[in-house]
Amino acid sequence: MNHMAKTLLRRLYYGTKILCKFALISPILLFMVYFSYKVDRSGLFQGALGPRTVVDLMLSGHDVTNFEQMDERSVVSLYAQDVPEDEHPSVIGIGSSRVLQFNREVIGTDSYFSMGVTGADVRDNMTSYYVMVRAGKAPDVLVWSVDPWVLYGSEKAFDSRADSELYNEFLTKVLGVETDYEEPDKVELWKALADPAYFQGNMDYYMAIRSGAAVTDDEGNEIPFKAVTGDVYDNDASIKRSDGSVLYSKEFREQNQDQILFNAMSACNTFNSVHMEGFTELSAKQEQAFDAFIRYAQSNGTTVILVLCPWHPYLYDFLLWQEDDHQGFLQVENWIRQYAHDNQVPLYGSYDPLQLGMEEMDFFDGLHCKDIGLKKFFPGVPAVLQQIESGSVPDALEITPRTTAAERCPW
Amino acid sequence: MEFNTPLFLGFFAAAAVINYALPRMLRPYFLLIASYAFYLYDPDNAALVWILLTTTAISWAAGLALEKIQRRAVRVAIVTASFLSCGGFLFYFKYLGFFDEIFASFLSLFGGKANVLQLDLVAPLGLSYFIFASLGYVVDQYRRKYPAEKNPLLYGLFVSFFPCIFTGPIERYDRMSRQFKHPRPFSYNRCAGGAFRMLWGYFKKMVLADNLAVFVSSIFSKPENSTGPQLLLAILIFSMQLYMDFSGCCDIAIGGARILGFDLLENFNAPFMATSFSDFWRRWHMSLTGWFRDYLYIPLGGSRHGRVRHYINLVIVFLVSGLWHGAAWGYVLWGLVSGVLSAAEVIWQKSFAKNSHAKPPLAVVWLQRVGTYVLFSLSLTFFMSALYGVDWSYLTTNITLGWNTFFADPNAFCAGLSAFGLGGRKLMVLIFGTAAVLAAESRGSIAAWIRRQNWSIRWTLYYALGLGILFYGAFGQSVFIYQQY
Repeated sequence: MNHMAKTLLRRLYYGTKILCKFALISPILLFMVYFSYKVDRSGLFQGALGPRTVVDLMLSGHDVTNFEQMDERSVVSLYAQDVPEDEHPSVIGIGSSRVLQFNREVIGTDSYFSMGVTGADVRDNMTSYYVMVRAGKAPDVLVWSVDPWVLYGSEKAFDSRADSELYNEFLTKVLGVETDYEEPDKVELWKALADPAYFQGNMDYYMAIRSGAAVTDDEGNEIPFKAVTGDVYDNDASIKRSDGSVLYSKEFREQNQDQILFNAMSACNTFNSVHMEGFTELSAKQEQAFDAFIRYAQSNGTTVILVLCPWHPYLYDFLLWQEDDHQGFLQVENWIRQYAHDNQVPLYGSYDPLQLGMEEMDFFDGLHCKDIGLKKFFPGVPAVLQQIESGSVPDALEITPRTTAAERCPW
Repeated sequence: MEFNTPLFLGFFAAAAVINYALPRMLRPYFLLIASYAFYLYDPDNAALVWILLTTTAISWAAGLALEKIQRRAVRVAIVTASFLSCGGFLFYFKYLGFFDEIFASFLSLFGGKANVLQLDLVAPLGLSYFIFASLGYVVDQYRRKYPAEKNPLLYGLFVSFFPCIFTGPIERYDRMSRQFKHPRPFSYNRCAGGAFRMLWGYFKKMVLADNLAVFVSSIFSKPENSTGPQLLLAILIFSMQLYMDFSGCCDIAIGGARILGFDLLENFNAPFMATSFSDFWRRWHMSLTGWFRDYLYIPLGGSRHGRVRHYINLVIVFLVSGLWHGAAWGYVLWGLVSGVLSAAEVIWQKSFAKNSHAKPPLAVVWLQRVGTYVLFSLSLTFFMSALYGVDWSYLTTNITLGWNTFFADPNAFCAGLSAFGLGGRKLMVLIFGTAAVLAAESRGSIAAWIRRQNWSIRWTLYYALGLGILFYGAFGQSVFIYQQY
């Protein structure tokens, strides 16, 4: 064997030996990376501590306290990420707080999760579904409680809490619409896993949890979310149920008719301020987005069920009475009905409570229906699927909502 | 590029791989390029790289001239010129402002006035180290200790060799020249030993020194809020922090150089096992004390010109050593105090301990060790005051406070330490880690020892050190103290 070959062999031998020795050190590095990823105190991978606590509790079947303090949008995103693939819900609900009253009982199946968020705008609606698809957990059925501002083209229809980055990602990647979306720099994110200082922070946090100390975020704020103990219906404040729906406080749930009416009257003057300021006509662009989204869901094998949640009779009457101030709103239902009819999308409910036989006690306030009210117009998902199969889905044009002051009637 | 950053580790790994991939004759030239790349990485250094180049050129040329020229007067002139030019850089960047202040103060004593220069100079990193290494070479050439280096690139590598340019050890050219000219072939055991030495150094720096520094700096950054027991504890801990910091850095440098195939001077030899102050200084920062011994103490006459001259020489050497650390009165006082203590010890030994050749009992040896440690720590108070900019008025006032409370309830004092980062598991790690390091180093070379152990012991120690760094190391928090000198 000549000298060159010997040298080469020698180098190969020592090179391999050194690599093997490095491999023996690798368990320390792997442990560091794994631990940092799992504990993830700053929420770089597992989401912020607050929402993560909520999702962990819900996934372990608990109802969670302090709904008012939750970052609902983060909870929805994290839920989509963390729910096990083989346990992901076959039915999800999207929409604003009005869909948060759709619970497993109303939906009629245990495999349900309400992904609605308070004040949801069209971006929230679409991204709530998109995060499930992105995680490879597209539901079989999507119950979309459509709010009227979904068809309003102004930025006033947007909610500041919505995740615009995520929406841009959805538009760019899914619908092919050009936005200023840029792929996030994952390298910086992953660097944290190789950062021993981050590991040490995670270790301190982990030890604090194990010793029973209060859980705090990076700023030292205590995480206020706990599993509900005792009678869930004897609650002082709103609770996030394990199915994503919301159980209002006992006091709010048990208001008498006068109190409910008072709430409905209070909502009259603030009605437009909820994403509908200056809403006079439907936006063609939003109509296209509405259609594109439904087709996108259907292309993922999801059956879309549209729901129009009614408003309190007093409030709806007020909207008719002030017809000129609510022109955009009063066009929405008929457009949706026509769309559902044309595209054979099942549609249930109506904004007009009169068409559904709703009573004042079916509401908590001007905007939110109780489950007894919801059951009056929504038969539950299994029944809807049966109707689809048997071709007996009610025609969306069977109901004609009142849209002019002339149609007002004593209630 | 700090030693305790992933960037350095990446750079070093790449340099080591390329070094061994190259033919041996090319390795020194590659390392010269790597050393300059290392130096130029920091923009502050890059702007001042001409100082490194000029110092290298002057001292190399002086060496060649000194080899050829026979006339003593010319040779003295060359050495003087080298000292003035290279030392001038040192003086300008480190001492000009300080001496200008002294001059202004001196003038004001006689009613004169001088405008104090408002200098805000950033000295290039490693200035004191590479200037001293270069001047040592010039003096060696003057003494014709070994042949002058003809190859400027090899000499350039000596001056800029990246493992030791920032914090030493201050090398001698005759030692390094042999290694540069005859690079060693790759040796797995050498590399493994070097890697362990680096790991050992990282543990000392990141786990021990940096965590001790949290306590020391929190006490000395606000001495007005500290009590006597806290100040005393910080003084005693500071010497340990300084040792772990500096020797840890030297371990990394020596281990790194060993991986590349070079042996550097050892800088420490278990200094806290010293039983006297002079013994301590034979074990602490050995490359610097050796430099001062060879190039200052001996030229001054050493101990050959009578007792008084001997004592004065000792004081001068320590005074200059103090000044080498920085242009501040704290360093000067530290040097003065160390010199006086050394001289006092020599006086005491010559007067009272003439015939005591018998080996003292172990208890006495430990008493001497503890005494030396306390004495050194107390002398470092001046050093520390310069390093942290401590207001002496607070230090002298507060050192007397809080002792009654301390003696009344020592437990409360210990519990209060956790507020300064010295509590819980970390305190245990610091106590046992420091004790283990000192014990291990007192038995000789830990890197040589570990190579003699079987596989299981070696890897247990590797894992212990690695996990110690991972769990308790301070990441991205501090530079090495001696890097600024």
